[in-house]
Amino acid sequence: MKKKGQVTMFVIFAIIIVVLAVLIAYFYPQIRFSLGGQTVTPSSYLQSCIEEDLNLAIEKVALQGGSLNPEHYLFYENEKIAYLCYTNEYYKTCVMQQPLLKRYTETEISKAISTRADECFSELEKAYQRSGYEVSIVRGKPSIELLPKRVTLDFNSTVTIQKENSQRYTDVKVSVMNNIYELVSIATSILNFETSYGDSETTIYMNYYRDLKVEKIKQSEGSKVYILTDRNNKNKFQFATRSLAWPPGV
Amino acid sequence: MKKILSSLVLGFLLIGMVYFSIGIVSAVDPSYCCEKTTDGAWCQNAPEAQCAATPFRKASTSCESTSYCKLGCCYDSQEGTCYENTPERVCEGSNGIWEENAECDIPACTLGCCLIGDQASFVTQTRCKKLASVYGLEINFRTDVGDELTCIASATSDVKGACVFEKEYSTTCLFTTKKECATMAGNNSAEFHEGYLCSADELGTVCGPTEKTTCVDGSDEVFFMDSCGNVANIYDSSKLKDKTYWTKLYGKAESCSYGDSNANSVSCGNCDYYLGSICKSAKVSQRPTYGNNICADLSCSFEGQTYQHGETWCANSKGIDKNLPGSKSFRMVCYNGEVSVEPCAEYRQERCIQSEVNNFKSAACRVNKWQDCSAQTEKDDCENGDKRDCNWLTSTPNRCVPLYAPGFDLGTNSSESNSICSLATTTCTIKYEKKLVGEKKCVENCECAGGGAAWKSNMQSVCNSLGDCGVKTNYLGVTGFNKWS
Repeated sequence: MKKKGQVTMFVIFAIIIVVLAVLIAYFYPQIRFSLGGQTVTPSSYLQSCIEEDLNLAIEKVALQGGSLNPEHYLFYENEKIAYLCYTNEYYKTCVMQQPLLKRYTETEISKAISTRADECFSELEKAYQRSGYEVSIVRGKPSIELLPKRVTLDFNSTVTIQKENSQRYTDVKVSVMNNIYELVSIATSILNFETSYGDSETTIYMNYYRDLKVEKIKQSEGSKVYILTDRNNKNKFQFATRSLAWPPGV
Repeated sequence: MKKILSSLVLGFLLIGMVYFSIGIVSAVDPSYCCEKTTDGAWCQNAPEAQCAATPFRKASTSCESTSYCKLGCCYDSQEGTCYENTPERVCEGSNGIWEENAECDIPACTLGCCLIGDQASFVTQTRCKKLASVYGLEINFRTDVGDELTCIASATSDVKGACVFEKEYSTTCLFTTKKECATMAGNNSAEFHEGYLCSADELGTVCGPTEKTTCVDGSDEVFFMDSCGNVANIYDSSKLKDKTYWTKLYGKAESCSYGDSNANSVSCGNCDYYLGSICKSAKVSQRPTYGNNICADLSCSFEGQTYQHGETWCANSKGIDKNLPGSKSFRMVCYNGEVSVEPCAEYRQERCIQSEVNNFKSAACRVNKWQDCSAQTEKDDCENGDKRDCNWLTSTPNRCVPLYAPGFDLGTNSSESNSICSLATTTCTIKYEKKLVGEKKCVENCECAGGGAAWKSNMQSVCNSLGDCGVKTNYLGVTGFNKWS
């Protein structure tokens, strides 16, 4: 009888632990919010809320040539890789398809993250209200900036919270470590080579940048897939070109 | 009357032929400039059916002649970057500034030497300013430097030394630049000792020599570290107890085994990326005498052979020597201890070529210039390697054939491949002469007589050398379905 009681106790404890774990996982940002009794800044709350999604959005866009939904693409290794420089003809160098690549990539990442950014902001507002704050938010359009070794998401918003005294946050930003800025700069250089000479030399870039791996994979119909990889953190940017293609046996 | 009728019929026939031939040409030629194609590409010469519907424009001319697809330079005024060969429509759609100069030979895209801190970059002035704002550093933009190599060579680092200051009632030190030392000092008095290390006895700081080493971002070498965590001289196990080595800064050229890669050296950390080594954490199996970092060997091992860091070499699939269908060349690249594969163009439209200087291999995929071989009638023209990759067959009849037979896309271009292969189709008519007395005697094309085994063999090799023609096995050894006839 005593043993049965012990087993029941263990089962109850196990259930309580599982329920707690689920609750922690679900309400992690809110719980974190009130930990330590200190006011969590909007930026640090949003950082924990959106960081994972932001990393995923950057990865997705980077693997698709800077596009969230590529319109003109090459299907390679289960990825739609956007053509950034293209000609459908033989013996001709390509026509630039996506100039201002950095700005375009920033816009595409912004699009990919916008819904989650809205959700996180709403969660932030509720979290402050639950903690007894009066919240006033002036919302702007979130924007992404690619910077050396990092990507910054600026919410372009102002958050004012008030309990005993008032605090105003104007610099609401989230940052993740990623080398997409460097990779996009190299892609831009490769594109200028492709459009001028119809090809590029991969080893030049690997001589200059020690942590960079540049792969060029030619496809049967004359397209090329470029894969730029940072050897340290494995960040990737890949894109397709078709330039100075030679016809088969004609 | 008959004459008039016949001339009318002839006239209609001629008109019909011209119309028909125009019809054929327009069906094949990409005679429209599509602002956008149905598959989403901008500014392509393509058949009308491939042009995207309104609002996108199309014109029955080449894109170079249209206003909307004229190529020019697209300039990003924020980033200071320039994109060549960009259609006006595409540039403006991306909020760029378009100028009618496809090579970007415009003032805004003029490159100069941008010196930022101890780094240099050959970029536009706007780009230089942008980089300065991104890194938060002052810039020096030099327009008198005309090329990238001179620019990079002109990058100089600030003078470094020991910055000695008081902290929590003790004399401590930071190894930094003179400028940073002055900034850091603020109200306190910090003394800068140019060319000195923090571990120098005469500075009287709490920092001293240690056995610890470190890798520094942007440097190839392994460095000693002092007890305050400052970077000291390049790691040299024989200098651990050498007071002078822990007093003043020594340059790379004055350090151990300069000019060698020092890969996997347990005693010297003078690594050099261009010679095939760089500072990395040491593996358990390759511990240095002191510290945890080593000059990691960047060479590669591939199919039992060792290749140096930076080497490129050719590798071929099976059957490339016989130009078998499906065979192709590859360029292999060794960087950072990793081998990557760059395939040359399919259908043997490119060949991999390789050279070797001082035991260092360099390879490249080069275009196979076989296209006009069959048009050559002279041996010298045929074998002019600067112009084409052809081979002069001396057997009768003399023929100029590709040196490396191209492959065909048998799935989509069967009619074109048939027309190439048909160049080898020939008929040999043997002429015999029979006099009143005696047997008939062969007088013309006698090589074809009696089954003409040698002639057949010659013609088969001509056929094979034109491309994926004749009876062949593919590069995997699978026999084709053709038979000689």
